[in-house]
Amino acid sequence: MAQAHSKQAAHSHMHDFEGHVEAVEADLEYWRAKRLEPRLIQLHRRGVLTFYDLVRTATAHPAAPTTAVAHDTEARIRALEDGLDDYIRGINLISLDGPGFPSVIEDTRKERGDYDDFFRIAKSSHDGSLQERIARLEHQLREYRHLLDVLTRALLDKGVLTAEMIEQQRAFLAGRGAWHGARIVARAWVDPAFKQALLTKGREAVRELNIPSGRLGKLGVAENTPALHNIVVCTLCSCYPHDLLGDPPWWYRDDSYKARIVRDARGMLAERFNLRLPDHVEVRVHDSTSDVRWMVLPCRPAGTDGWSEEQLARLVTIESLVGTAPAGDPAAHRAGAERREACPPPNPRTAFGSATPCRSSA
Amino acid sequence: MNPTGNPRTPHYIRGKRGVVTVLHGSIVNPIDHRGVYPPLCSVLFRVRDVFGGSSEDTLSIDLHEDWLMPAGPSDEPTLD
Repeated sequence: MAQAHSKQAAHSHMHDFEGHVEAVEADLEYWRAKRLEPRLIQLHRRGVLTFYDLVRTATAHPAAPTTAVAHDTEARIRALEDGLDDYIRGINLISLDGPGFPSVIEDTRKERGDYDDFFRIAKSSHDGSLQERIARLEHQLREYRHLLDVLTRALLDKGVLTAEMIEQQRAFLAGRGAWHGARIVARAWVDPAFKQALLTKGREAVRELNIPSGRLGKLGVAENTPALHNIVVCTLCSCYPHDLLGDPPWWYRDDSYKARIVRDARGMLAERFNLRLPDHVEVRVHDSTSDVRWMVLPCRPAGTDGWSEEQLARLVTIESLVGTAPAGDPAAHRAGAERREACPPPNPRTAFGSATPCRSSA
Repeated sequence: MNPTGNPRTPHYIRGKRGVVTVLHGSIVNPIDHRGVYPPLCSVLFRVRDVFGGSSEDTLSIDLHEDWLMPAGPSDEPTLD
């Protein structure tokens, strides 16, 4: 759930406080116990960064003072979700491999067979009333973000990471997900067997593209046809296959999108996304759960016969993966007049094809 | 209905009539929740049956089996 949603327009009511709080608890624990702290311990073990380095940095950079907390439960939960997004993004920014200290998480150790439950980092309990749970999360998030901040500064101070490396990582993370989606769609357009596997097996199928298949439930693929146009939404929260496709567009989490798209998809597509669909095309909205996360397989644009897979992938926008736009117009692309690639490859020289290493992914 | 399983069933769809189109089975998803929820189905609804109006468009909603009950005979032609 790494997605900026501070730009949200009018909020409608959040239905399920318990569900939101439970999701934050699960995510916060996962990122602390599986990603941040194992990394910290690993850097310490390797002597790259010691705990004493952290103490020195923490002394110089104390935690930000507690800001006034909203009284409104919904506002507090939203603030938690925003803070969690920030926290996750921050962990990803510093999850860089270096010589002698690969970015190893527990999951990859498990796959490799050198994982021992004995060394598992303990998780805290989640009991108590809703208000107690929210207060505990606010406290934990503040502490964990301070730790992350101290770790980041210490890595920079010691020269383990440079600001430039972090900036590169930021650009890489921003481009990574949607480009994966673009490659998946392009392969499905040119390879019927792959398309069949994608539609039936979901995320298992993407392994042949050397894309980490992720583990967030099942991947549902809704195929557009000349008679059917699919759109994805998650009205209850913002479920999306983000482990595979990166962040959805920012408005995907916006309540004004969620509320209208299920009632009047055709009207909303026309007015908000400037996509007018003929009457004979059925519009189908998929309302997701966390267990099946949907992406749209857009129609291959006409006039692309003989195009290479990479050329085709450049037509796939993040909006077309959600279903609020068709894949790009090949004419505009050929002319090169508009260099608007919504899913640019992170590094055009190496990211396409099979050379991409499977970085441990968010 | 008050199932004890996953509460992720949108309010707007409760009590509405739809057609099960996909059986996903029980999905193991330990990152999102502990334990295994009842089997999940994609159920297809007409927008007009849910919100009124005259739209021919559809909603496909993923619902856990314990939230579904047999719809019984209907005068309406079935969705497919």
